[in-house]
Amino acid sequence: MFGWASLSSRRPGSRLPTPVPEAHVSNGQRNSVVLGPKDRLVGQLFIEGDLRVAGTVEGALEATGDIEIAGGGKVNGQVTAYNRLVVGSEASLIASDVRVARLTVEDGATFSGRVSMGPHAEEPAPVAVEEPAPVVEPTPQKGKRR
Amino acid sequence: MDVQEAVAEGATENGEVKRDGRKQFQMGPGDILEGKLIYDGSIHADGRVEGEVRVTGNIDVANGANVKALLEGSNVSLKGAVEGAVTARDKLTLGKNARLSGDVTVRRLQIDDGATLNGHVRMGEFEQQASGQ
Repeated sequence: MFGWASLSSRRPGSRLPTPVPEAHVSNGQRNSVVLGPKDRLVGQLFIEGDLRVAGTVEGALEATGDIEIAGGGKVNGQVTAYNRLVVGSEASLIASDVRVARLTVEDGATFSGRVSMGPHAEEPAPVAVEEPAPVVEPTPQKGKRR
Repeated sequence: MDVQEAVAEGATENGEVKRDGRKQFQMGPGDILEGKLIYDGSIHADGRVEGEVRVTGNIDVANGANVKALLEGSNVSLKGAVEGAVTARDKLTLGKNARLSGDVTVRRLQIDDGATLNGHVRMGEFEQQASGQ
């Protein structure tokens, strides 16, 4: 059907605890990425945070926050938003699979694809900042206290 | 299963509720419709609906209604729970309390925040008409 459909929506190794680039979130703000009207992406994109697309995307998008396809944005591919997906009134989403927790489609939007919502849409588990497992290990740091 | 056939092929003119010059099939929260309804007009679905509903006008599913049926109409507006395929020859609107589980064929689509949709959405042409069955 689509050439890129064989691509996985998950970035390689997504089942492993993600090494969160703390630099992007250290200011307390959620990471947000914008693709402007003249921007174009072919391939796959995973964003730890929100994504706003006003340009053209062919491939798979995944964001831990919201995804908004705005303006004349056109997305042709698989979309996974752990929170909310918004498709604007002039935007277009032709998807094989749409997995979201919340969905808004504005009147006038072009929208087609298989939609999965609700609890089972969260199958790609939210990337928890996992504490390292408490490993019982003989540590010689006897004097260390907090 | 005992299924009633309720076919109104647009011939009957009497005893109908009319709204804006068009026939309106009006249901209340305690009403139950089971079977197949082909209707020249619009329907306000409430209570329980099971089977198949094809109308030339609009379909309006009330908040709190429980619908397990194939729905086809011009403008389809859902505020309650629907299980089944939905075809809107013009526009499908999912209100904030709508829960739709089924495949969707529409010309235009509006989904309000809060609505739940599980199914395949297809936007485009229509091979079926309400009178085609």
